[in-house]
Amino acid sequence: MAEVRLDCMYEACPIPLLKAHKKLQQMEIGDVLILETDHNCSIKNVVDWVKKQGHNVDYIELNEGEWEIYIEKAK
Amino acid sequence: MSGKFILKKQNKSIYLFRYKRFVTQRKGGEVLKNHDRILKKPWPYMVGGSILAILNIILFILTDKVWRVTSGVVHLGAYVLEKIGLRPSEWYYFSQNTGEGLGTGEMFIYNPYIIMNAAIIVGALLSTLWASEFKWKRIKSGKQFVFALLGGFLMGYATRLSFGCNIGGYFSAIPSFSLHGWVFALFMFVGAWVGSKILIKYLLT
Amino acid sequence: MTSKAIEELKRRRQGEFKKKNSQIPYAVIVTAISLIIYTICIKLNHHSTFWMIGLLFGITLQRSRFCFAASFRDPILVGSTAILKAILIALIVSTIGFTIVEYASIGDAGELDKIRTLGQVYPVGLHTVIGAIMFGIGMVIAGGCASGFLMRIGEGFLLQVVVLFGFLMGALVGTWQFEFWDKILISKAPTVFFPDYVDFPIATIVQVIVLVALYYVADWYDKKNNIMVM
Repeated sequence: MAEVRLDCMYEACPIPLLKAHKKLQQMEIGDVLILETDHNCSIKNVVDWVKKQGHNVDYIELNEGEWEIYIEKAK
Repeated sequence: MSGKFILKKQNKSIYLFRYKRFVTQRKGGEVLKNHDRILKKPWPYMVGGSILAILNIILFILTDKVWRVTSGVVHLGAYVLEKIGLRPSEWYYFSQNTGEGLGTGEMFIYNPYIIMNAAIIVGALLSTLWASEFKWKRIKSGKQFVFALLGGFLMGYATRLSFGCNIGGYFSAIPSFSLHGWVFALFMFVGAWVGSKILIKYLLT
Repeated sequence: MTSKAIEELKRRRQGEFKKKNSQIPYAVIVTAISLIIYTICIKLNHHSTFWMIGLLFGITLQRSRFCFAASFRDPILVGSTAILKAILIALIVSTIGFTIVEYASIGDAGELDKIRTLGQVYPVGLHTVIGAIMFGIGMVIAGGCASGFLMRIGEGFLLQVVVLFGFLMGALVGTWQFEFWDKILISKAPTVFFPDYVDFPIATIVQVIVLVALYYVADWYDKKNNIMVM
């Protein structure tokens, strides 16, 4: 199982989502993508989309307005 | 900036210890959860959209005006131009569109949408602060800056052709039974398609 | 949907960070200031309703992460119509609401003309098409439309201040050149107001039916999961 880190700080919509999509295509099933973002919309936008794609996903807020989204590629 | 590293194999006892800590955290976490639900958890889009629609109707009832954004921006700009010595009030646009709400002797700054736009910024700030999620987000690169300025300019110019942004020209225009709202919506998809192509080609690197 | 690996990561990372600072004291201060401004507006009789409803618009936009730009962009880019569907619902609600406002005003005005005179009814033509395409491109590359950048300035995005500045410049140049567009296109274009062609209740019913149908189309499209090739 590998962990891949993706820095999306200071990026506006929809860049975090597109970067996540691109990375996920290169990853193996069971790998975890850690997406760092400070965009308030991403925690809804990215999380909803990843759920729809059938991957496992959750997020935590590390600092004020800074989140890490964890995506486990499931298929 | 992505690094790849392999997780170290976890020892079974560490797992157990972490699990115990997780359980105790949960107990104390109930209060925090309620707090999060009220102040932080994003509302569903459907709820947000319905509230926006209802607010628009209330605004229409109370003030005889519907929600617009650009009108405020234009009038604020015209006010600034006036202050630096230009005469935007003599522009053709302001003589044609009496519906813009500028009565005789009235100044551009009296436009109600200027106040409303300021209130939208403050409202979003309030919501962010109550959630303790406020952070100053700097500009990352020159490219980002240029695209933001260019995108903003395109949008601003376009609103004068289509009579409003996607609030005045769409969100308030379709319920006003005006065909231009529907045409605007349809061709927004064309614009968004072209924009997406540009975005993928130049911004996603 | 979460998994064991994600729960483990969450716990590990959460432990590495100290407790977050609460921004609620600032929230209390800003709330107080907003209410003071509201009372001043009432006293001066200066658009107090716009201030209050504007605040509520801002709070709603931020809390629901509502983004008009995404409603047009996401179906094309990533095949998601979640926000578009919410907007269609909002348009159904406001279509019905505006009609009620129209009929409720019969008593005071004596005729049904509130929406035509006070709503957003404007000429439609080639200028609408050009404007919409320009606006669509602009909002996608800038990362937000007009309500979007206002909301994001409130969230602390300095980039969106640049967008606002560009928007202001563009709007002023557009206003200044309005004469040109008006003479070649806009003044010749018709204003199409549906109740001019059919009875008002029928216009309302047909429009709601069309919006409901579009909702189902959007729902069907969401399930197709079209993603733009990159």
